[in-house]
Amino acid sequence: MASKSKVASFKEVLSKEEIDIEELRRLCFYGCTDKEGIRATCWKILLGYLPVKRKYWEEELRRQRSSYHRLMNDVIINPYKEEDQTEAVDHPLNPNPDSQWHKYFEDNDILLQIDHDTRRLYPEISFFQLPTMYPRKAFNTGVVLGIEALKERVSHSSLPSQKVESSRYGVRKVKIKKNEEEPFSPLKEGEEGHWEVVERILFIYAKMNKGIGYVQGMNEIIGPIYYIFAQHPDSLWKEHAEADTFFCFSNLMVEIGDNFTKKLDRSRAGIGGSMNRLMTLLKDRDTEIHKNLIDKEIDPAFFGFRWITLLLSQEFLLPDVIRLWDSLFSDSERFDFLIYVCTAMIICIRTDILAADFSVTIKLLQNYPIDDMQRILQKAQDIKQFYSLSKR
Amino acid sequence: MVLVLIIGDCHIPHRANSLPPQFKKLLVPGKIQHILCTGNLCSKEMHDYLKTLASDVHVVRGDFDESTQYPEQKVVTVGQFKIGLTHGHQIVPWGDIESLSLVQRQLDVDILISGHTHKFSAVEKEGKFYVNPGSATGAYNALDVDVVPSFVLMDIQGSQIVVYVYQLYKDVKVQKIEHKKKT
Repeated sequence: MASKSKVASFKEVLSKEEIDIEELRRLCFYGCTDKEGIRATCWKILLGYLPVKRKYWEEELRRQRSSYHRLMNDVIINPYKEEDQTEAVDHPLNPNPDSQWHKYFEDNDILLQIDHDTRRLYPEISFFQLPTMYPRKAFNTGVVLGIEALKERVSHSSLPSQKVESSRYGVRKVKIKKNEEEPFSPLKEGEEGHWEVVERILFIYAKMNKGIGYVQGMNEIIGPIYYIFAQHPDSLWKEHAEADTFFCFSNLMVEIGDNFTKKLDRSRAGIGGSMNRLMTLLKDRDTEIHKNLIDKEIDPAFFGFRWITLLLSQEFLLPDVIRLWDSLFSDSERFDFLIYVCTAMIICIRTDILAADFSVTIKLLQNYPIDDMQRILQKAQDIKQFYSLSKR
Repeated sequence: MVLVLIIGDCHIPHRANSLPPQFKKLLVPGKIQHILCTGNLCSKEMHDYLKTLASDVHVVRGDFDESTQYPEQKVVTVGQFKIGLTHGHQIVPWGDIESLSLVQRQLDVDILISGHTHKFSAVEKEGKFYVNPGSATGAYNALDVDVVPSFVLMDIQGSQIVVYVYQLYKDVKVQKIEHKKKT
């Protein structure tokens, strides 16, 4: 019954002509529901992809999605594209940095990294290995010269080969290796796994944002977003999960991109600043545990780095991460709440930490033992409430 | 898209001491996926060098190769193409298109790659394609001392092939030849 009323209250908020963002945030903060794609819609609004006025949705979506498809065609370099023929022949071994081929191989370096990371995305669930219902046809069939599945560009394979032998009577024999089994391939020809879609989004993002490029860990951020969008029950939304994910991810990276930028590591905006805030907050809330960590010489970088940059996506199981992100995204002063949650996480295991030595503490923090998300969120809310009260 | 390097007749160390530096500068790892070698590498070091460019190296035995591990002929499949690989000293007259097309029919291949003449050639005959990459070092051969160093890079995509020919005159000249499979 309670769940039903939750759906109803979400529907009520979402059906308004102009959505009350404050109201939506309040609702989402206590957890969205997956029913009828409500979570996907909420995230799109909270991440600033969908405008609050419903009447603009259709137009906005059409505009964004078509611009994504344009991007896809522009960004993925096709060395076959006929440029002006006046200059010398461009060839694959061209060392000239202006050469299309040279750029193509440079892209492959980024792609290789992305490929490694997306292949092993969320290995505990099968979703990312399954074929998507909406593959990019042009990329798979190879009809369009020069554009192929991105994974093919960086894969290494051996060509099937046979030795030809002639016997002393002059009989030629093509020696076919026996028991040569077909290599295992989980996807059929023309199919595309969900991880390949993620790979393409990240590649296009890296190409569009040369300043940040691709940093390991982005795959962990984009994973849950794509997971939610690609499982939308309505096929109209599901079909465009790729484009929608790209823009939501870009919007999110605008906010947390500083954490991924190496140059800002030591500044206030970067990851160093966030970790300092975490420690200051901890000191404020629980001096004893803070002192204990300092005495044990535990640098917040040992655990906080991963917690904050990846929005805690590595610490919990996917369903818990998604629930946690409901709250994180609905935070109006975005990612303050993340710091509260991190603090709450440390306080929740304070007795264990106080009793442990250096190595056990590190283990506790890097392998977070509690999987009860509600307990942590409750604690984090208490902290949040305390500060919002004291601010007044 | 598959990039296949076709190279051979190096005769290192007998007739040349190394690949021309201009070629070495072009051949960098990470670009080429497969190598088909027409033989007469003549040394293990050269084979090892090719291995650094791409992990998948196919070699056939030339008349100066000491290693007996290389087969006389090989049939390699790249996508839609069946490629026959042979050194070519067995096929007389050397480099003769009629004799080569006999081998092409015996092996039932779409492309026949042969070497030995130390002279680049790419010929299309009756829908089949014959490629000779020439000598990568420009080593002399039995009939000719004036040899232009050359090798070939094939870009195979679907039913289309783009052949890039690299020849070293004063500097490297690149030529592009296209071939389409007839169905």
